Amino acid sequence: MLRENATLVVARNERWQGSVATEPVECGWASEAIFFIRTLGGDRCADARVQAEISPDGMHWVAAGAEGALPKSKTEVTALRVAHFGNWLRLTAKVPDGLEFLALVTLHLK
Amino acid sequence: MTVTPDDLTAAIRRGMTLANPQLSKFDPLPRILAFDDFDRGHCGWSQLVGNYEGSLDTILPGYRELNGPMLSSISHWDGGTHGSIDGTYALKVPTRARRDSQAVAIKRLTFREPGPIRLEFYMTFKPEANELVLSDRDIKSVGFLLDLQTGDQSGNGAERVMPHLRYLNARDGDLLQKWQFKPGSASFSDIGDSSDTVSHFHLGDEGWQDVPGGGQRLCYNEIATKVNWHYIRFDFDLASMTAQRLQCNDRVFDLAGFDSLRMPAMKNLWCMLNVAMFVETATDKRAFLYLDSVCLSGDF
Repeated sequence: MLRENATLVVARNERWQGSVATEPVECGWASEAIFFIRTLGGDRCADARVQAEISPDGMHWVAAGAEGALPKSKTEVTALRVAHFGNWLRLTAKVPDGLEFLALVTLHLK
Repeated sequence: MTVTPDDLTAAIRRGMTLANPQLSKFDPLPRILAFDDFDRGHCGWSQLVGNYEGSLDTILPGYRELNGPMLSSISHWDGGTHGSIDGTYALKVPTRARRDSQAVAIKRLTFREPGPIRLEFYMTFKPEANELVLSDRDIKSVGFLLDLQTGDQSGNGAERVMPHLRYLNARDGDLLQKWQFKPGSASFSDIGDSSDTVSHFHLGDEGWQDVPGGGQRLCYNEIATKVNWHYIRFDFDLASMTAQRLQCNDRVFDLAGFDSLRMPAMKNLWCMLNVAMFVETATDKRAFLYLDSVCLSGDF
């Protein structure tokens, strides 16, 4: 049987301000994951961080070790690779005060 | 007594269906159009995205934050993995943790024979178990719809028809527990500047009517993490574009007064046969609809 492979759009045209978290994704069937983070416009968010988180139950969260910078332009792409994540994944970000990040985040699982 | 080839075919088909552990819990019409067991993946159930043109800002507000489906082992903090009916995975449709948030899973097909179809599925619904209370009033509704359009040769009979049914579980802290349908027409909005795209939001709270005798108490169980599955069957005739039967577990409901959302045919939806499942939360807590499995069949 061919390997399962799925792309989930976890943030589409969402306006991020301050501390944000994407909706929880249950993905225990997969063994590897990549978050791709793009911006569709908005402000240039220098020094803004984004990181993957894992959870025992979809309600309590801890950093998964994968982190990076939010892309600063529409042509940049940030990729966070995650493995050994159990059953749950989400993405968190901190957007600098007074700025807005227009997010497009996809989660690629297989 | 004369046994015809058709009789033999029907008997063999019925015997094979009943002997198949996955299919024998359904009563499909002769032709199975889709059988979706989510231990085999998402099976073509995807996120509903509103229509847009030029910018995603043109998506109507009701469609902007619809969550999509995912494969779930139905695992909980207190009891571990619940699993699906006959395996590990179910299709989970989760709302956001905001009152009236909705989520939709949709499967997009077309039909080749405008005749009877039957949608059968097993479903259950639960709130996110983030409180040590029963939480049975935290889910507003779960439901399903078909999005149908006649073929391109249907002439004056051309129309788009969208039968909607929901189980209105609770609102404002009150258990309502009844089936409703949504008749009427649709109000379209232009999307973008080219006149190519329109959109209408049909999942709102307005326009629902009670199915006569449609009150039904379901097995919610006694805590938020105990899950029982419910059988749903909906028969629809694509020739007359009328609903024939709604069944949930042991109850069959009177659809004599039922009607669908009806609107003029659209230029790019001929023979459309879409099936969508939806869930809505009543509180600032995520609501989850689970499916396992779904069988769509036709009589041709």
